[in-house]
Amino acid sequence: MKLLIVIPAYNELESLPGVIADLQTHCPQHDYLVVNDGSTDGTGALCRQNGWNMLDLPINLGLAGAFQAGLLYAWEQGYDAAIQFDADGQHDAAYVQPLLDKLSEGYDIVIGSRFVTVKKPITLRMAGSFIISFAIRLVTGGVKVCDPTGGMRVFNRRVMRVLANNLNYPPEPDTIAYLLRCGAKICEQQVSIRERTAGTSYFTMIKSVKYMAQTTLSILFVQWFRKNDLKEEAAEHV
Amino acid sequence: MYDSSFIGWPLQVVLILGSLLTILFMMRRIRQSKLQIQDSIFWIIFSFLLLVLSIFPELTSWVSQKLEIASPINFVYLVIIFVLLINQFLSSVRISRMDARLQQLAQRQALDEKYRAEAGAAPAADENTGASAASEEPAE
Repeated sequence: MKLLIVIPAYNELESLPGVIADLQTHCPQHDYLVVNDGSTDGTGALCRQNGWNMLDLPINLGLAGAFQAGLLYAWEQGYDAAIQFDADGQHDAAYVQPLLDKLSEGYDIVIGSRFVTVKKPITLRMAGSFIISFAIRLVTGGVKVCDPTGGMRVFNRRVMRVLANNLNYPPEPDTIAYLLRCGAKICEQQVSIRERTAGTSYFTMIKSVKYMAQTTLSILFVQWFRKNDLKEEAAEHV
Repeated sequence: MYDSSFIGWPLQVVLILGSLLTILFMMRRIRQSKLQIQDSIFWIIFSFLLLVLSIFPELTSWVSQKLEIASPINFVYLVIIFVLLINQFLSSVRISRMDARLQQLAQRQALDEKYRAEAGAAPAADENTGASAASEEPAE
């Protein structure tokens, strides 16, 4: 399986070298693509200097837009799978191959989950995660997604096509919930996530309440009147 | 019964002046090309509606009476708020569409730039980048 590791990066000058080194050590067999999301700290220049494979967005699009650009590249270049990989050093490159192996067992999406074998801690920080998990269970008729916000996700080409070419498919839990309802085969595999090494997250704690509310509402209500893009894709490409 | 002259003349003068100024303000902006003609139509009609209502407030009381709305001013609020609500929604739709288009443009631009650079560079040049394997056989 030809895999592209998509690394959306916004102002990740400090952590990006470590991430690339990690990838080159643990999965030199896979291609990676840094999507420079209009960084202002010289992330783009750093990539050029080191000859890292980079897609240079002219403006800041945010995580969803940057990741989608990477998926579009993967789609157009004929990759079989794409994985979302954080530029802040939270993701461990050692988990890339196991996730891909799981995907080739016939799944559409494999989520690198923090809470498959490890119990989700009952903390305030995890409250949002619990609520989103519950919302997904409600709308999918009981599908358990332990770590819906887990950011390390592998997508196969069937799902990649939909995500790359359509509006409203951010790499977020509501997309996962929606794709589940569309009939995608999704599974979770245990990974562990490191603490941030440098830079600032796309997420500040202030934003996370808004994020959680938006995501939950999207899962519970908005998904009902969307059309099934996955199904249409399948019908078109049989 | 409704009193057809439910607003006194001082208020009426203020309303007429207000709506005239609104029309002038909007027309000036349109003349200065701050607004596309297609978008200006709504505001021209809307400002004329304000003017008509301020000159003939009896219209409002007449309709309110027919619809059995307790006070004519309620009818005015109802209509204006509803018209603005729809307009606001349509604006949201347009902003969303523009956002999506802008995103597509930026992504396309970045991809085309990359493809051009890759086509321009000698094949050996990207040997140490992740792109090199893209043209190779799947590693399985």
